[in-house]
Amino acid sequence: MQKVNKNVVLAVLSLTSLVFLLFQLYYYKFYLSQKNGAVFSKARGSQSGQDSTRWHVVRKFLGLISSHNIPVYLIDPLILGLIDKDIEQIRSSSDGPSPECKYFCAPRDFTTFALLDKAWKHEVGLFRTAEKMGFQWLTVLNKDPRLDGMDDLSGTEIPLHYIFKLASHAIHLVVFYERSGNFLWHGPLRLKQHMDRKFVPFRKLHFGRYPGAYEKPELLLVSIDDLKVQIPKNPSSFLEEMSHSRFLECRYREARAFFQVYPDDASVDAVEFRKRAKSLLHLAALTLNNLGVKFWLSSGTCLGWYRQCNVIPYSKDVDLGIFIRDYKADIIPAFQKAGLPLKHKFGKVEDSLELSFQGDDDVKLDIFFFYEEDDFIWNGGTQAKSGKKFKYLFPKFTLCWTEFVELKVHVPCETLQYVEANYGPDWKVPVKTWDWKNSPSNVQYNGVWPVDEWDEVIQIY
Amino acid sequence: MDEWKHNPIIKPHKKRSWYLAWKYKLMNQRALRKLCQTGAVLFLLVTVIVNIKLILDTRRAAYEEEEESAQDYDDEMLNVEAPRHPVSNKKVLDVEVYSSRSKVYVAVDGTTVLEDEAREQGRGIHVIVLNQATGHVMAKRVFDTYSPHEDEAMVLFLNMVARGRILIFTIKDEGSFHLKDTAKNVLKSLGSQVAPFLSWRDMWTFVGKKGGEVYGEKHAKSPALSTWGDPVLLKTEVHLTSVEDAECHWPDTELNRRRRRFCSKVEGYGSVCSCKDPTPIEFNPDPLKDNKVFDVPVAVIAGNRPNYLYRMLRSLLSAQGVNPQMITVFIDGYYEEPMDVVELFGLSGIQHTPISIKNARVSQHYKASLTATFNLFPDAKFAVVLEEDLDISVDFFSFLSQSIHLLEEDESLYCISAWNDQGYEHTAEDPSLLYRVETMPGLGWVLRKSLYKDELEPKWPTPEKLWDWDMWMRMPEQRKGRECIIPDISRSYHFGIVGLNMNGYFHEAYFKKHKFNTVPNVQLKNVESLRKDAYEAEIHRLLGEAEVLDHSKNPCEDSFVPDTEGKVYVMFIKMEQEADFTTWTQLAKCLHIWDLDVRGNHKGLWRLFRKKNHFLVVGVPASPYSSKKPPSVMPVYMEPPAKEEGAVAVPAVAAAEQT
Repeated sequence: MQKVNKNVVLAVLSLTSLVFLLFQLYYYKFYLSQKNGAVFSKARGSQSGQDSTRWHVVRKFLGLISSHNIPVYLIDPLILGLIDKDIEQIRSSSDGPSPECKYFCAPRDFTTFALLDKAWKHEVGLFRTAEKMGFQWLTVLNKDPRLDGMDDLSGTEIPLHYIFKLASHAIHLVVFYERSGNFLWHGPLRLKQHMDRKFVPFRKLHFGRYPGAYEKPELLLVSIDDLKVQIPKNPSSFLEEMSHSRFLECRYREARAFFQVYPDDASVDAVEFRKRAKSLLHLAALTLNNLGVKFWLSSGTCLGWYRQCNVIPYSKDVDLGIFIRDYKADIIPAFQKAGLPLKHKFGKVEDSLELSFQGDDDVKLDIFFFYEEDDFIWNGGTQAKSGKKFKYLFPKFTLCWTEFVELKVHVPCETLQYVEANYGPDWKVPVKTWDWKNSPSNVQYNGVWPVDEWDEVIQIY
Repeated sequence: MDEWKHNPIIKPHKKRSWYLAWKYKLMNQRALRKLCQTGAVLFLLVTVIVNIKLILDTRRAAYEEEEESAQDYDDEMLNVEAPRHPVSNKKVLDVEVYSSRSKVYVAVDGTTVLEDEAREQGRGIHVIVLNQATGHVMAKRVFDTYSPHEDEAMVLFLNMVARGRILIFTIKDEGSFHLKDTAKNVLKSLGSQVAPFLSWRDMWTFVGKKGGEVYGEKHAKSPALSTWGDPVLLKTEVHLTSVEDAECHWPDTELNRRRRRFCSKVEGYGSVCSCKDPTPIEFNPDPLKDNKVFDVPVAVIAGNRPNYLYRMLRSLLSAQGVNPQMITVFIDGYYEEPMDVVELFGLSGIQHTPISIKNARVSQHYKASLTATFNLFPDAKFAVVLEEDLDISVDFFSFLSQSIHLLEEDESLYCISAWNDQGYEHTAEDPSLLYRVETMPGLGWVLRKSLYKDELEPKWPTPEKLWDWDMWMRMPEQRKGRECIIPDISRSYHFGIVGLNMNGYFHEAYFKKHKFNTVPNVQLKNVESLRKDAYEAEIHRLLGEAEVLDHSKNPCEDSFVPDTEGKVYVMFIKMEQEADFTTWTQLAKCLHIWDLDVRGNHKGLWRLFRKKNHFLVVGVPASPYSSKKPPSVMPVYMEPPAKEEGAVAVPAVAAAEQT
């Protein structure tokens, strides 16, 4: 009897286990993979079922969008990367059916599209249709940065991101807005308290960690995997742009506080200088962008942006920084062609290069070249009459986009460190008398140019 | 979950007979049995392991997710708002109403919804409308029925309030002097017993439901002409109805959803909220062919005059060629009701924290609004600037579409305005005619972006300067000799009576009789002749064909101009130098046109219509057109009345006046 019981017990247990196993399978498939497809779909590898799900979701989404006449374009870095490899073939191929699903079936959690705000009318109908088609959706709203100027305006919040979810795949729709510097801007993705944090694994999104700035892209209508979709004409340059797209908003609130303490100078001279500095900066930006030379706001111009979101009226010049590795011999002739004669040239490409161009009406454009070392970055200065050299040290920095006097320009992302290195901890206090040899807190004496080199390294026109 | 709890118990029972047969068969095969047992144990082990892994996986996934969403993507602004429903789920409201010479107040359930004890302000009958289901305040008005015509406004307002709403009345100071019988009868029909007998300096409070019961009324008679009645305090209870009863049953569409939101919040907008056949809130006017201003942003500058804004937006959205996408309403202050109006029409609205006071506040609001407009529409080369107290002509956009290229091409232009300062009923005639003038009229105008960004914005008056923005814009430092294009017949109509620089008398004298174009699709005449040099040629041509009037007659008399139609006449007035407007001002006064400062001139020339004839006035010798004067003609000189000299303050007409 004992033995029989043991068998019975074992059989019962086995059955229970079987039921357990079945339940687990069910749980895997229906609960977890749907709720958090990201984590588990990887483990399952590239099963064809999953692949076609992605394709189907994209197809449904494109159908939804076109039924409402909303133009979107593909900005998904993963897919654009794949497309870029075959770009020639895709451009030339006609609408014939494609043999395999090569792009839209690639394993991923999201497909990202861009939407130009200008191009649609915020119709509520879109979301109702989306729901009918089985999509779940989420909108991320936030303040409109275009109203964040010097005046206290508050408008209705604007949509920055939409996420449409169907089965285990999600579409991330990034809304791009036009900004005054004639560029496109997308906002950061920040969840509000009441929002569903588990709607999708937000951390895996390619857009939204920071706001970003982009040029207006040229688009191309292509047919890939039997789907018609718009993509940036040159995917590789778009991807390159994407990797350096981080955007910094000017600190308008702090600037307002600054002007509370130090009222702005609205005299005729100040207005005139600002106007001239602005047009000089526009001209310089145009010239350098045409050459493809990356530059950023430096010294006083950078301080003006960071502290008061404007040109400092008593600064008398416009300062730009360029990495020496981006130096091109064409820079000087290009500026001369643009109507800005060379005023002086100090140093040489190997050491302490600095160029100065004469703008209209006494406004000067100073270009400092920056040299990168292992743990710091520096630029040089030269005193013309004595041949003394100076060195200005900065902690390492990367470049971000910002909007300044209706221009999309670079500034160091780590602006505070940059400004503090240059102007010390009291940078918030306006100083009208500035001695470039002694006032900067990061200046170092750097020896004297050998006299026989003076003709080369000290050129004044 | 249920499944696996039940199954183990049920299944073995079912399978018992089959199992027994199988067991006896195997009894003798110990090895096989052992194998089966080991297999079962192994199977169990595997199950246990898979189970544990599952649990771990699930926990990790859940944890990761939590961590992910917790960082980075959190909004730093954690505004914890506990929504307050002061009167929810309550059936009865306690209402307190106080009326006295110097103070009125109304409290609903202990919350003060009206309190006015300011001196020299708020005289008359205060009216509050409550929602009968929620008890929320839907409208607050004061009608100064001591002054004429205010009772008519009150009757108009009361008629617009929907049936079933709760009305609260209270008098501050005096409310009966110009309270006519019509108004008294309306109050009586609401259930007031006292209203028909209200008299000089009586105090009065009344609470009732429109078209329904009376909740209370109190009255204190004034004992003598020189004294006021005793203060009265009315305390009463109001029974709330259900929400369904308080709302209309419109079909469920997007538009009606907006309408419902609006109508459950505010009152006093009449038929837009009527349950039967409400007025449309979408107009779909005809599009314009070749519309050059479809992509030009429209900035509507508004303060806290929601009824004006409502009227203004209706006319704007009905104008042919309007593009609602480009309209932004800028509200000076965090007022709810104007924002409700903006949302009713599905437009976008922006609120502005008020900076400074009076004129400077308006001027700062203008600056912020213009800056924001060009930020929001970075591609735009122009912006149309409108104010909340303007009616917009049906061909407003057609007028702009035909003329805007001039502003782009002609450097000598400052603006295009829809308003002719001198375009009154009796002085404007031709809807297709345009002028060039040296003054900037405002009141519906187009601003060039480059003018704003390069010149005006950087030196806009700072908040501490109490300047009118329009006066500032008219100053020679800003205008720099440039001119504006205006139509003969205005494409906007200034209907605002309440405002910073505005009152009923002033409006009646200078704005009421202004001509306003109502003809759609007017084809403008000779637009190209408005360019700088072409216009001079045009003027010389006009003066060449003009008949010189008889200067011996009194120019103020109607008989000064012959009884003809369609002819061109010219008269010459004395104007010693460019800024000598002595005679012009007197002439303007007697012609009943704008005489408070000089408007509508072009190089010492004014153009208007008299008796359907084009009537030109040339200032001699300051005007370059003086050469057209025949030597025999003596320019008219009119002397200003001596006593008024210096005593007349010139009120400025800033546009977005605040109440």
